[in-house]
Amino acid sequence: MQEHEEVTKMDQVERLMQRPILYDNIDGAGELALGFFFLGYTLLRWLPIHAIWWHRYGVLLGFLLLIAAIHYGVKAIKTHITYPRTGFVEYRKRGYVWKGAIAGAVVGLFIGLGIVLVAHSHWVVGRSHWVLRMPAALFGLIFAAGYAYKIASTVRWKWAMAAAMAICSFEMAMIPAGAIRAMMGRNSAFATAFGALRLTFAFYGLILLISGGISFVLYLRHTQPASETAE
Amino acid sequence: MNLKTRKLAELDRVIHEPGRLMIVALLSAVEQADFLYLQHETEMNKGTLSSHLSRLEEAKYIEVTKTYRGKIPQTLLRLTAEGRQAFAQYRRRMKEAL
Repeated sequence: MQEHEEVTKMDQVERLMQRPILYDNIDGAGELALGFFFLGYTLLRWLPIHAIWWHRYGVLLGFLLLIAAIHYGVKAIKTHITYPRTGFVEYRKRGYVWKGAIAGAVVGLFIGLGIVLVAHSHWVVGRSHWVLRMPAALFGLIFAAGYAYKIASTVRWKWAMAAAMAICSFEMAMIPAGAIRAMMGRNSAFATAFGALRLTFAFYGLILLISGGISFVLYLRHTQPASETAE
Repeated sequence: MNLKTRKLAELDRVIHEPGRLMIVALLSAVEQADFLYLQHETEMNKGTLSSHLSRLEEAKYIEVTKTYRGKIPQTLLRLTAEGRQAFAQYRRRMKEAL
């Protein structure tokens, strides 16, 4: 009996140790930031193709502005809303650098594989083959699985968001290559592959903005700024 | 007394208390956190949390820094190297005992 209690206690301890990481997105700021990044990136890559007034260095400048806006926006939310309501946390940097490096390497590997796959399909199976949309669909599915594992597993309603992401990935694999090429303004295998990837970014950005927005509103409704009494 | 029971008996009593175990587990995952965050996560009232923190500070497991966030007083808490070592040892002993 005592042993069972201790096992439960240790399970709770292990779960507690995960809570600070989940706390980072308690206000939905993480999802909002990623959503803005995805949508901003798509817009910045789309403008040079369709807007004749857009200067090519505008992409670089726009990208820098986007990163700055996201960085300072998240900082402002944390400083003025989250910390006064539910407290301040400073994360351990060492672990995060390694995790970031590993995640970056995995994403890099995946993009590299996607490019190889696209190039291969261009030479072997022809331009209109479904394989050109596979990197985008695969990226979407992996992202949806990661979202479900990390975020939706702790907040039940976010399973709906994970499901929407998964459906979006399947839809991406079904979109006619011609439609994607028309959107990209170019007629090549790479245009199809990257066009599908950008569409995925746009849809996921929208889903993340909705999810982050709902989280933010719920957070504001369920928390109050703490009183300024002695601790 | 069997081996498992002996292992459980050898556990660090300062950390083994449920309230303090929660605090140490939370602080072990971060560089530092403030009083409000611990209160939010543990759902303890200010008095209870303060008394647990005092006990942990007495054992030199945590470091308490009083500061200000703007004009608002803020109490920052961080696990000391000793505290991290004690918690790691506690987890190891618990795993061995279970």
